[in-house]
This record gives sequence, structure tokens and C-alpha cells, in this order.
Amino acid sequence: MVEKAEVVDNPRIPGNRAMWVGIYAELTEFALMFLVYFAARSHHPDAFRDGPQQLSILAGITNTLVMVTSSYFVARALFAIRAGRNQTCMRWLAAAFVTGMAYPLVKFFEVRWNVAHGVDGSSGDVFQMTYYYLTFNHLVHVSWGLLGMAWVMFRTWTGAYSVQQHHGLEAFASYWHATDLIWLMIFPLVYVLN
Amino acid sequence: MNNARTLGKLHLAWLSLLALTLLGGFIGEMWNSGLWVSVTVALIMAIKARLVIDHFMELGDAHPAIRGLVRFFALFFPLLVVVTYLFGDQIAQLTGL
Repeated sequence: MVEKAEVVDNPRIPGNRAMWVGIYAELTEFALMFLVYFAARSHHPDAFRDGPQQLSILAGITNTLVMVTSSYFVARALFAIRAGRNQTCMRWLAAAFVTGMAYPLVKFFEVRWNVAHGVDGSSGDVFQMTYYYLTFNHLVHVSWGLLGMAWVMFRTWTGAYSVQQHHGLEAFASYWHATDLIWLMIFPLVYVLN
Repeated sequence: MNNARTLGKLHLAWLSLLALTLLGGFIGEMWNSGLWVSVTVALIMAIKARLVIDHFMELGDAHPAIRGLVRFFALFFPLLVVVTYLFGDQIAQLTGL
């Protein structure tokens, strides 16, 4: 049983320090973009009130459900490895990967729909520009996350993780959940608040 | 037993996230952003973020610097939704070139 003093003296770093440097950078990057969003919204309230109505709420909701579900599957994978159930961990990661791959697929169809409806950023509409730079940047981070997920799936398959040692998987999980967290901020800002 | 309870909380967190997502979408489609819609949306944002931080990221017993920064991130921007609604003109003046 871990004593409280021991936890206080040795606070847990989920995964490893290096990944948290990356997550800090990611959060800082999006924090700056969010600040620009709020400044732009203050300068152009009409554009941001009308903006969300131009978008496909179905695409936004679908991708939110995709992100939280993929995150849930990754969390289940971590539970499994902690219990020493490597094959179960692998199955949860596979589910997380298949679910996560739906995100860029939905984005593809969403952008195609957008362009067909004139939401292509070419008019100089400040809302459209804000929407595209937020969501495309997030798509880049999701893509990195999917590559990372493929890597930890390979590592799990080769038996690199165990009950005692699975910091790599935990580090990846932290990144994926942070990327999910950022999307939970983006979704209402561009799809809901009108 | 402890693991089963924690797994139960994880299931509940996921289901809550799904429900809150659908609620947020419903609010966006049905109502324009007045003060109470902005407050409700901000609250949903903050609750969803906290569910991910506590149950997915498990930062409850993490290093205070990590826990504090992520929780701040998840609270600050929902708050800014309401602040921007109330003080949009002043923010525009402060951020003007």
C-alpha cells in the first residue's frame, strides 16, 4: 500500500516526461489559437454568430463521438495491460485505432460538403478562416496520434509492455486524451456557439 | 474490487461524454447564443473536459504541475466563452491593432 507521504514526495508522471513536454507544447499551441479565436470573435461578432450555421453539425457531433470513444478504448487498453492481459489490451487498441481512423474519414467528407456549399475560406470570411486553421491543425495532431497508436499496437504485439513496465503505452494514452481534450474545446466554439 | 469501481467510473464517464455531446449539439441547433446558452455551453465544455482529465487521463494523483496546467486549460477557455459574450466590445478594444 502506497503511503500518502510517498505519493506526495514522488508525484506520478503519467507515461514519461518527454511526452508531457510534447503535450505542454500542444496545449500552448492551441491555447494561442483559442486566444486568437476569442479576439476574432470579439471583433466580428456577426460572422461568428452566423458561422456555425454554415457547417455540418452532423460532422462535428460524429467526430466528437469518435474522439471520446477512441479515447475510452485507449483507457480500456491501459486497464488491460495493468491487469497483465496483453491480448485484451491489443484488442482495445485495435478498436481505438479503427474508431480513430473514422476521424480523418469524416473530415474528408465534411470538407467535401463544405466546398460544395461555399465554405472554402476563399471569401475571406473570418469565421471560415478560424474554423479551418483550428480544425486542420487538430487533424494534424490526430494524424500524429494515429501513427503513435500504430506504434504502440506494434509494441504491444511484440510483448514490449507488461504489468510492471508500460510507460510507453501510458505516454501515448496521455497524448491521445490531450488531443481529445482539445477537440472538446474546438467543437462547441465552431459548431455550437451561434 | 477497487479496479472494478474505477472501471465502472470509466464507463460512466464515457457514457456521460456521449450524452453531453448530443446535448451540446441539440442546444446549438435549437437556440441562438444568448447569455444562458453561452453559460450552458461553457458548463458542458468544462464538465466534459473534467471527465476526460479525471477518468481518461487519470490526473487525480499526477504531478501537481501537470494536473494544475491541464485543469487550468480546461477551465480557462470555457470561462472565456462567457467573458467574451459579456465583454466582447472591451476585448475588441484591447486587442485592436
